[in-house]
Amino acid sequence: MEKLNQVLLNPAVQVGPNLDAWLQAGGGLGLQVALGARSTIIRQIADADLRGMGGAGFPAWRKWEATANAVGDSKYVVCNGNEDEPGTFKDRTLLSASPHQVVEGALIAALAVRAACVIFYINPHQGQSMQHMQLAVSQWQHSTLLQQLEQALGHPLEIKVVASSGRYIGGEETAVVASLEAGFPFPRKKPPFPAEQGINGQPTLINNVETLANVSHILRHGADWYRALGVGKASGTKLYSLSGDVLRPGLYELPMGTSLQELVFHYGGGMLQGKAFKAVFTGGPSNTLLTARDLDVALDFDSVWLRHSRLGTGAMIVISEGSSIIRKVAEYIDFFAKGSCGQCPSCKCGTFQLARLLDRVDGGRHSHADLDALQHLCQILPGSGRCGLIDGAVTVVKSSMHTFPQEYGLPVSAEPSTATA
Amino acid sequence: MNSAIPYAQALTNLTAHAQPPLRPAELSRSALLAQYHPDSDANASTLLQIGPSRGQACHPQLAALLQSNALIDGFDLAGAEQRSTDVLVIGGGGAGAAAALTAARSGAQVMLASKLRLGDSNTVMAEGGIQAALAASDSPQQHFDDAMRGGHQCANPQLLAQMASDAPGVIRWLIELGMHFDLEDPLSDGGKLRYKQAGGCSQRRILCYRDYTGLEMMRVLRETVELDPAISLLNRCPVVELLSHEDGSCAGAVLYDLEYQRFMVVSARQTILATGGCGRLHLQGFPTSNHYGATADGLVLAYRLGAGLRDMDAFQYHPTGVAWPQRLRGGLISEAARSGGALLVNGLGERFIEELAPRDVVSAAILRECAAGRGIERNGQLGVFLDTRALGPELAQRLPALQHLADKCGIDPSREPMLIYPTLHYQNGGVVIDGNGQTEVPGLLCAGEITGGIHGRNRLMGNALLDILAFGRRAGRQAARLAQAARHKSSLPPLRGGIEHVYRWQRQLALAGLDASVQAPLLYPGQARLALHRPTGTRAQEK
Repeated sequence: MEKLNQVLLNPAVQVGPNLDAWLQAGGGLGLQVALGARSTIIRQIADADLRGMGGAGFPAWRKWEATANAVGDSKYVVCNGNEDEPGTFKDRTLLSASPHQVVEGALIAALAVRAACVIFYINPHQGQSMQHMQLAVSQWQHSTLLQQLEQALGHPLEIKVVASSGRYIGGEETAVVASLEAGFPFPRKKPPFPAEQGINGQPTLINNVETLANVSHILRHGADWYRALGVGKASGTKLYSLSGDVLRPGLYELPMGTSLQELVFHYGGGMLQGKAFKAVFTGGPSNTLLTARDLDVALDFDSVWLRHSRLGTGAMIVISEGSSIIRKVAEYIDFFAKGSCGQCPSCKCGTFQLARLLDRVDGGRHSHADLDALQHLCQILPGSGRCGLIDGAVTVVKSSMHTFPQEYGLPVSAEPSTATA
Repeated sequence: MNSAIPYAQALTNLTAHAQPPLRPAELSRSALLAQYHPDSDANASTLLQIGPSRGQACHPQLAALLQSNALIDGFDLAGAEQRSTDVLVIGGGGAGAAAALTAARSGAQVMLASKLRLGDSNTVMAEGGIQAALAASDSPQQHFDDAMRGGHQCANPQLLAQMASDAPGVIRWLIELGMHFDLEDPLSDGGKLRYKQAGGCSQRRILCYRDYTGLEMMRVLRETVELDPAISLLNRCPVVELLSHEDGSCAGAVLYDLEYQRFMVVSARQTILATGGCGRLHLQGFPTSNHYGATADGLVLAYRLGAGLRDMDAFQYHPTGVAWPQRLRGGLISEAARSGGALLVNGLGERFIEELAPRDVVSAAILRECAAGRGIERNGQLGVFLDTRALGPELAQRLPALQHLADKCGIDPSREPMLIYPTLHYQNGGVVIDGNGQTEVPGLLCAGEITGGIHGRNRLMGNALLDILAFGRRAGRQAARLAQAARHKSSLPPLRGGIEHVYRWQRQLALAGLDASVQAPLLYPGQARLALHRPTGTRAQEK
């Protein structure tokens, strides 16, 4: 049975920034349920096993609970729509095609954590995201639902749409906080986590667009319904951004835990030109490569983690036998080098050096010393930055060297092990 | 073959009249074109299915190439030599040389790549001359009017007006570079330029140097390019694919170095395609006057990258290609012969068309004579006579290339007629450009025969040499300007592009159900078939 686009990309909810159309399509019901049983919201999110869809896969309810329990007189809920990773294009679709879905989710979150301010932090460079969000939010300002919500909260709720810098690093949780405090998006050390001390020291709940978009559906249909959408132990659906050497790239909403094989060969229409499948860059793309051995992997956070990789944002950049891995890795590392905020010297210089070395290797201008240097950098760099940017960059380089040593001209071990992390 | 009049009989018919009579026209010109011009053939047009100009008419042989697969895959670029430049010019003919020179003189670093050598092109084969409204009685407006009418009112008026207005400046530039033109009185200093009549023109407007004007022009262009320190020249480096940035703009090109047998990735801030036309595709089996490099390479690559095309079903068949002997079939006899008084005569000894009517009309008329059994057959070759006897003994001096060709045919043109038949000569359509040669793809400019819209659906004699220089110079200037603006923003070398557009293209091919086993550009069809050498080792190990 076809299980495509059941929830978030369901044609019935692709109503654009029109609030009346959204309410007619069943919108608002989730918020009403939440208003009726506000003490159980977090419990329901926990039962549904909603994960952080921005890449971490961290159970959403933990952040919600931490924020709800933290002490503060004006808590924030931030919807993180900074999306700027290569190969990821899910949030911009949600924000422009179905913005009310996201707004309602954020309002329910605000109710759950008793926030005083909801901020939509949107990348202004992504199509109509910004424009549609502004339209959508302006319609909520005068709605009766918002008045009911404010009554339940006992204080007014401020809703803002803020343009992010559009920089890759600006999507990092603590960088979001820094950015919303009107500074440069420099990531900060954790702890303290934003749930305890975020914007202006206030507890701040930061969730990805896709995470919040699921919330109203969970409240409306119940946690059991949501769990049943997934395959096996996984729950819900996931937006997979499929790109690369496949016949039909695009955004597919599929049950969480759909296999890579099915995504690429059924929904993606198979490999372009019938070429052999070589590898997939997942998530950021800052994770360990999945190869032909991993075609059977269920694409949910836990199963992919068992293969020593990460599902990340759900981006799947498929590489065929005709494409060079080094070239792709060089491109991504170059992206990371340009995206580094520069405050940690090891990240600033490390990503630059990795990019320089990879460019040499890609151009066939490298020596053995360059390959040695690459390997050394992969050993000494991880864990040296405030945020995970340098770790992600190293992971993808290390993984590509381990999985495709022949492309680097490295000795091929007789029996490559599956573990690379 | 249709019935035809044997050569000996035709010769007798020809000599029966001192002055062959002109048969009154029984068909209007438009009816003649609709019935007999090769473009009107039912098999000469199909619709493009994918790409920016889908739905437009195109010759089927060309459509097969335009909707074809790339020669390379991403893996081929692994370990490839990397170079970068401000402006990359592809094509070593007149348009490429003019663009490179102008870009270099506007301050850009230029790389000029040719799949043959600089100057191996149709430019050197242009015999007749170059049009420019220089005479006192002439004006760019009249030049424009003539060309517009000749092109059946299909030309882009803006482009045509620019070409006609640029013409006097182009001639001045050529003279400054050192090119010779025929003068009225060659012995006096500062003599007046000599003007010749061209088919379809209201004025004597053709400037020439003997009947190898293009060769003389290329001589000075080549010398100047080779001596310019800002231009690095890459001979025998065919372009196999263009490079693109994520936003779809052009990022340079992938070349293949024949000498070292390896790929070269050239990142350029601006790329100018000046790769010429497609005569060597021998559309509908016609012979061609084009050189061996005219294989539509640039057209295919520009279309794949997203540049729109126009008039891809309009080609020019030059009326006077050699029909006999067979080994020289298709070779061009300049329109200068007819301009100087040579006559077209059928097997019955009659003239059947005004010799200086537009080329497409004359070609259609010749094809009609052949179809109606009034053609002439000699050793299995069909054609009509070009009666050059009226040119007299001055012929050898005035038209040395014609004399040379006649010598190769074993004919004395001052006493015998030559057998001729239309030959595929020029691609009227091509890539859509604006007044500066800019295509619909940012970062990609085009100049020369590859472009469309300047001449409409038919070109007049002498406007090709003008077109390549006028728009070659415009494209060069514009590319240098844009490259400098980009360099002003960032002094780093231009960003390296990829071949993501090829994957997008392959997807379209697959979804439209087109044959992905056809690969283009052809580069060197039928001769020394190029085997692209892949980086050894890695790929072999994988398979």
